[in-house]
Order: sequence, then structure tokens, then C-alpha cells
Amino acid sequence: MLTSEHAIVVYERGKAVPDRLTRVSHVQYVGYAERMLAVYRAGVGKTRRELQRAVERIFADETDCELRRIRAFCKLLDDASEYDTDRRGRAARLRLQVFGMAAGSHPLVERRDQLFENTEAEVKARIAEHLGRPWDDIEAELYADVIDFQRLKAFEGYPDAAALLSRYNVAQLQACLYRAERMVVTATGDFKTLLRYAKLAKLLHTIRRLGPGRYRIELTGPASVLRETRRYGVCFARFVPALLACRGWSMRATVRTPWKAAASLTLTSEDGLHSHLPAPEEFDSALEERFAAKFGEERDGWRLEREAEIVFKGQTAFVPDFVFRHEDGTEVLFEIVGFWTPEYLAGKRLTVRRFRDRRIVLAVPERSLNPEAMVGEDVVVYKTALKLGPLLEALERARGSGESP
Amino acid sequence: MYRPRGRSAGEANPEGRPVRLSFDHGTLRLDGVGEGEADAVRETGPWLWDARIGAFRCDAIHYAEVWGALAERFADRFTDEVAPPKRVKWGKVSLPSLRREQQGALDAWLAAGGRGQVIMPTGTGKTEIALAAMRHTSIATLVVAPVRDLMYQWHRRILRGLGYDAGILGDSRHNVRPVTVTTYDSAYIHMADLGDRFGLVAFDEEHHLPGRCRREAALFCAAAMRLGLTATPERSDGLHADLDSLIGPVVYVQKVSAAKGRTLADYDVVRIPVALTDDEQARYEELGRIVRSFIASRRKDQEGYDWQTLCAESGKDPEARQAQRAYYAKKSIEDRAAEKLRVLEDLFRLHAGERVIVFAGSNAMAMDVSRRFLVPTLLSHSRKRERLVALEGFGGGTFPVLVANRVLDEGVDVPAAKVAIVIGGQASTRQAKQRLGRILRRTGEARATLYEVVCEDTNEEARSRRRRRSDAYERTRHRRL
Repeated sequence: MLTSEHAIVVYERGKAVPDRLTRVSHVQYVGYAERMLAVYRAGVGKTRRELQRAVERIFADETDCELRRIRAFCKLLDDASEYDTDRRGRAARLRLQVFGMAAGSHPLVERRDQLFENTEAEVKARIAEHLGRPWDDIEAELYADVIDFQRLKAFEGYPDAAALLSRYNVAQLQACLYRAERMVVTATGDFKTLLRYAKLAKLLHTIRRLGPGRYRIELTGPASVLRETRRYGVCFARFVPALLACRGWSMRATVRTPWKAAASLTLTSEDGLHSHLPAPEEFDSALEERFAAKFGEERDGWRLEREAEIVFKGQTAFVPDFVFRHEDGTEVLFEIVGFWTPEYLAGKRLTVRRFRDRRIVLAVPERSLNPEAMVGEDVVVYKTALKLGPLLEALERARGSGESP
Repeated sequence: MYRPRGRSAGEANPEGRPVRLSFDHGTLRLDGVGEGEADAVRETGPWLWDARIGAFRCDAIHYAEVWGALAERFADRFTDEVAPPKRVKWGKVSLPSLRREQQGALDAWLAAGGRGQVIMPTGTGKTEIALAAMRHTSIATLVVAPVRDLMYQWHRRILRGLGYDAGILGDSRHNVRPVTVTTYDSAYIHMADLGDRFGLVAFDEEHHLPGRCRREAALFCAAAMRLGLTATPERSDGLHADLDSLIGPVVYVQKVSAAKGRTLADYDVVRIPVALTDDEQARYEELGRIVRSFIASRRKDQEGYDWQTLCAESGKDPEARQAQRAYYAKKSIEDRAAEKLRVLEDLFRLHAGERVIVFAGSNAMAMDVSRRFLVPTLLSHSRKRERLVALEGFGGGTFPVLVANRVLDEGVDVPAAKVAIVIGGQASTRQAKQRLGRILRRTGEARATLYEVVCEDTNEEARSRRRRRSDAYERTRHRRL
């Protein structure tokens, strides 16, 4: 990831537009990216500063490239590099050794006189002799642990120029989000992934249903209710790769500009930014996949949709595996319980009880049931595969039970 | 402001539900109170309704104030789930007895309920006051320092004075103990998770606290007792006014001039102008011409074209980029003028046998000095052990000279040096004061000297003039070698 010093954002008429290099707007950058990769691939043994200078030279005649962009590329290339950081403190030891040896001769003067007889040249020659290596070697290593002078050990790199540019674009988006105060995602699917990663990024959600299978999810941090704070910017930046991996969403983030105005950053899943994370799996398990295939899109008046609704109360949100919509408008949520640790089952029970005002049907594996358990009307027991008959019966029972909320 | 909307469960049966106060990521949350009681809740503190969680929320800093009010208002229904800070048992305590003004500061702080700021000049022993306060309160304490050197220094002082091996949070370490030392940056990041663990929080060099972000380190902390320490509370952005609410009122002030000559040694400021070499001068002027003529040519088309515009356009305009580079090269010539190394040699000769500390304006210059004279440096990346060896070697007389970039600007205890040489750096009142403080520690009757080595006829001269305007330089003698 970049730091905020690398961020290049254009703020215009209330909009924040992070720097983005595309084949249309910046075709020449494909060539630059290839040359940068070449510099690093051939750069083992060179110092950070040398590599950065070499990258700067690539852009010497480019009219559309600010220093920050070059720095940002270097940062991303460095992120995929391994430098000799001198973890064992070779240079530091050498320094203390050399300074210790020179201390008695202080001050090292340019020309000897009656008061001070230790010249710089002589003292350095003496130390070199004592250490058994030329002074130039010693001086080169003296500060080899300073970041600028660390040497490249290995470059893992990016597969190709396109991958580097793609990473650059996402990194600039993330750097812009460091200034974000809140984010609103309008989503039409992949709810589980969205909510899971939002939680992992320690964000709170406010969910509103916009229509069947359409939700507005506002993400903020705990203290956001007290004041506008940029504290959670890094959380949004961490969340965004997961968002980019999902389908069918649009996003609007409120960003605080350097001059303290509010600007909005908007993006959709169709904007062509690619996450390094894989897209969410279509199904959580083979069991679900087989079931969906067997049921088909529609059967006996019931249409099947995968992960199509969110049920929520406060910060508890639950995305059932499937939603059945009857042609009369009835909606039944269907959750397949695949695991059977007692804690997991207890958690599921609690969730279902929390949302008992909704029609929820559970599929529970026979193995996980106590022999004497009373199986409720809204539970379908299965052995290895889900049978459609009992499920349809349960759906009809649910349809018959009272009004839809 | 958010108002509770819709019907909350509490309305059906507002009385009798338990009212629970808890710490939640740097904030306090109050559960079990519905809309019907919102007014009663707001009387107890600056609560806001948080619809996301169906509870009231406020910053953790209000803990002491809301706790009492809630206990009174909700009596039996109220439970406080914020964990009380741990008591601390000190090891072998060996603190010097406080001087009169130090005792005065401690008494004033205690009289203010353990909430307030102590403003005293550098070198007057603010650390001892904090250690005495910690000893007195014996409660879990977080000490927040500006940089990691200072954080480690606090660790050493706590170990030496109170016999307690404090936890360290910062510099890639995450070891939190009832007494912990940290930096402002780490405190900002981690306070959301740690804010309920401490009963006392001490902000060293408190003027770092009121920044837009960093202040959250204070807001997210539930500690009832707060101590702010500084020699220079003022900030150019005026935000120091907020220290009253973030820490507490100013409870004790001692002026620099009051300290001078009594606790501190007397000092001289000596300014040494150096000239650039002919080559440097030629290059300097050439670079200056590049910048000036570029700006002048742009101004023909664009009135008000200035340095900011130039920076903003350097991405699109290779010529602007060139001018930008010329400007930085020019500054670098000032910063690393060869003549400065020659003057250093003269000063080292003059003060042979005395401890001399050199402040460079950049890492590059610090390394230049180090390579030329083979003397140790403290750079921002130096590791803990090397810093310790360098500082102790300097204190013990092994190393005659110590070179630092801006790392040592504030508060780092340097073994009493009598001679400091500034060969570069930004002009700012605080930096000047802090730098002076480094060499002003009292040892016997000897006077301290601060040399400023500046390039003649360059911008550095203007910076030096600004530096001297600061209060700390008042009534000092200025002379030229």
C-alpha cells in the first residue's frame, strides 16, 4: 500500500478523483511500467537510491508525470522487493568500531600543526590497515543500513506491466480513501463477502433495503457518530480490495480534502478496477451448489435466488444462503447448516431466534441432531443431499403461516 | 445530531432495565436507555444517540464526569462495566527529592484533582515531576512521548526511578503493561483498544497533542487523571487552546527567564557566518537564476505564479520540475556547504577535550560530518542499542562529539554538553528553545555556548535571524568570531 504522501487526487467540483492510468489515457505507461520492472529485475545489488534515480530517468522527458507518481511506483516496486536491511546490525557495529578507534585522535584535522597532529587521511589509513580492508570499502559500508543505501536482494515483482499498473490504480484509490470519513455501498449481491470484510476492517454498518435484493450499506467507524474523523480511512482502504472483488455494486465515499472541504469519491463494479483478491465463490459448499442445480431456477411457483437478502438488527446481519420467492410475493429465507460444532449450531439458533419475525427455513444435517431433539416445522433434516419434497413442504407451511412482515 | 428514531424496545418498559456503561473502541456506550429517557441521559454528559447500535455514545475522555452523574441519576439500575485501572506496585523507588519549583508544580497538579498542565523550561526536571506524580498515584499509567528516543528514555527513567519495567508500545513493539510508554503516533492508533486500561495518562511535550488526528489519543482515553508537560505550549495554529479540555487547565508555569542562571547554566549564542566556496557560490547562483527566471517567465502569462503553483504544475511541466529540482539542489548546497566542515574543525580544535554536540539540518549532512570526523550520529532510523551506546559513550567521554539530525530536537536527555553547534535546520521558536535546552543543563559554574554556523547571503541567514528572535535567546550575547 502507498502512504498518504504518495496520494495523487484531483478535487474538482466536489468530486475526488484518484490518479488512474489507463490504456486510453496513458498508453505510454505500459512501456514505462515494462522499463521500471526491467530496472528492478536487473537491480539486485543496487541501492534504493540508485533504483529510484534509474526510475526517475525513465520519466525524464514525460510531460505528464509528477514526482509523487514516480515515488508511488517505487514504493509499489519496493513492496515487492527484498532489501538487505542489515538486520544483524553489521553497519552499526562497524560504525561503533570505527568511531571508537578514531575517538582518541579527535579532532581529525586537515593539516597537522603543533597542537593537533592527527590528520584525517592518516587516521583513516590507520583504521583501514587495522581492519585489513581499503578505506573506501569501509566508508561504503559505514551507513549501508540507512534506508536510501540499502541494497536490493531479490525482486519478486509483478507478472507484467499491466499487473503493475493495475496495482498502482488500486493503490491510488486506497490512498485517496485514507482521507475518507464514510462510505456508502449500494449492493445487489455478494453480501456475505461485503459484510464479512467490513467487519474484518472493524467498520460498523447501517443497512437499508432499497428493494428486492438491493441494499444500501453505510460503513462508518465507532466514533463517526461523534465527529467526522479520518481515523477509519485506513479501514476503508483495507476494505476496498474485497469490494473490488465483488459484483454488482456502486460506492460513494465522503473524503475530506486537504483544505477541509468534503468531496465524494464514487466508483462502481463496472469501472474496471481489479482486486488482487479472487472473486467470492459462487457457493459456500458443494452441497449448496448441488442443491441449487437440482432445484433449478424455479419450481412449483418458487423462484430460487442465492444470497439475495440481508436480515439485520443493529450490528447483527445475516445473509441466508438462499431466498425463495413465491409468485404470490411470499419470501422465505433458507439457510443450510453444513457444519455441526455445538458452538456453530448454538450461534445459528440464536440468529434464527433473533430474526423469528422472518420466515426462515433451516436445513440441518441429521448427524448434528440429538436423538431426542424435537424438530420444528421450519427445519428440514438431511443426510447427505437435500431432498426437494420435504423442502417444498416446509416452504408451503411457511407460506401458510401468517402475514409477511 | 442524531435523535432516536422509531420505537425502541426501551419505551415499553423504560424503568427497571439495567443501564450499562461500557468502553467501546475509544468511546463510551450506554445501553439500556430508550428515547423516553434521552433528556435524562444528556444531563449526565455529551451523549449522542447512535442508531447503528441502539445506544448512546460519547468520547471516553468524559468517563470521570459521566460516571458520577449516571450513578446518581440511575442509582440501582446503573452498572459500570468499564474495567477499573489496575493499581501499580512500584519496585525499588529511587527518586531525587523534588526541588522547590518541582514540588510546587506537583502540589498544584494534585490540588487540581490530578488533571492539568505543567509548563516549565527544558532542563528543569519535568520528568521528575511526572515520576513523582506516578509514585503518588500508584495507578496504571500511560506515558506518551513525541519520538521513540524519548519513549525509550521514559522507559529507562521509570525503571531507574520507580523500579518498574514499563511496557513499550511503538517502534514495532507491542508490549502493553499496566505502566506503558508510547509515542503520539502509536497512541493515536492504539488508544481505541487501550483507552480503558489506564488511570493516569501523561503527555510529554504536550504541544504535539492537539493536532486534528493526534488529539484522539486524549479523546479515546478514559483515564481520569491527566498530566501535560511542556516548555512551549504554543502552536502556530492556535490549537493549544484545546489542551485545557484534552488534558486540563494550566496548573503551573515557570518562565524560561526565571529559570535562566539559576537552575540552568548561563549561555552565549555565537553566530558564525560561512561563505560558500567559489564553485558552490557559482552553482548556487546558477540554480537561483534557474528558479527565478522560470518563475519570471511564467508570470508573464500567469500573474501570481509562485512557488505553490510551480509545485502543483511540476507534474505536467518538465520545466517546472527542473526548477523544483534546482531549488532543492540550492538548499542542499547551503545545507552541506563544504566550508561548514572547515568551521567545524576549527570549533572542534577550540573545544578539544569538551563534549560537543552538533545539530545538522539533514541526514545527509549528519552523515557528512560523521564520515569526515569519524564521530557517531543519531539518525531517525538508528536502532535502540546503537543510540544507547552512542549516548552513553558521549556521556562517559568515549566519544568527544555527537552528531544529530533533528531527532534530538526535543527532550532527549543528552549528557551535559557545554557546546552545541547548529549547522542547519528550520527556523522555529520551539526548535530553537528545545535545542538550547539541550546544552543548558547545569554543571558547576561553566557557561554553555551555542554556535550557529550559517551561510552568508543565503536564505539560511534569514532563518537564523528568525531563530534568534525567540524568547529563549533574549538577553544573550551575540558576537561574531
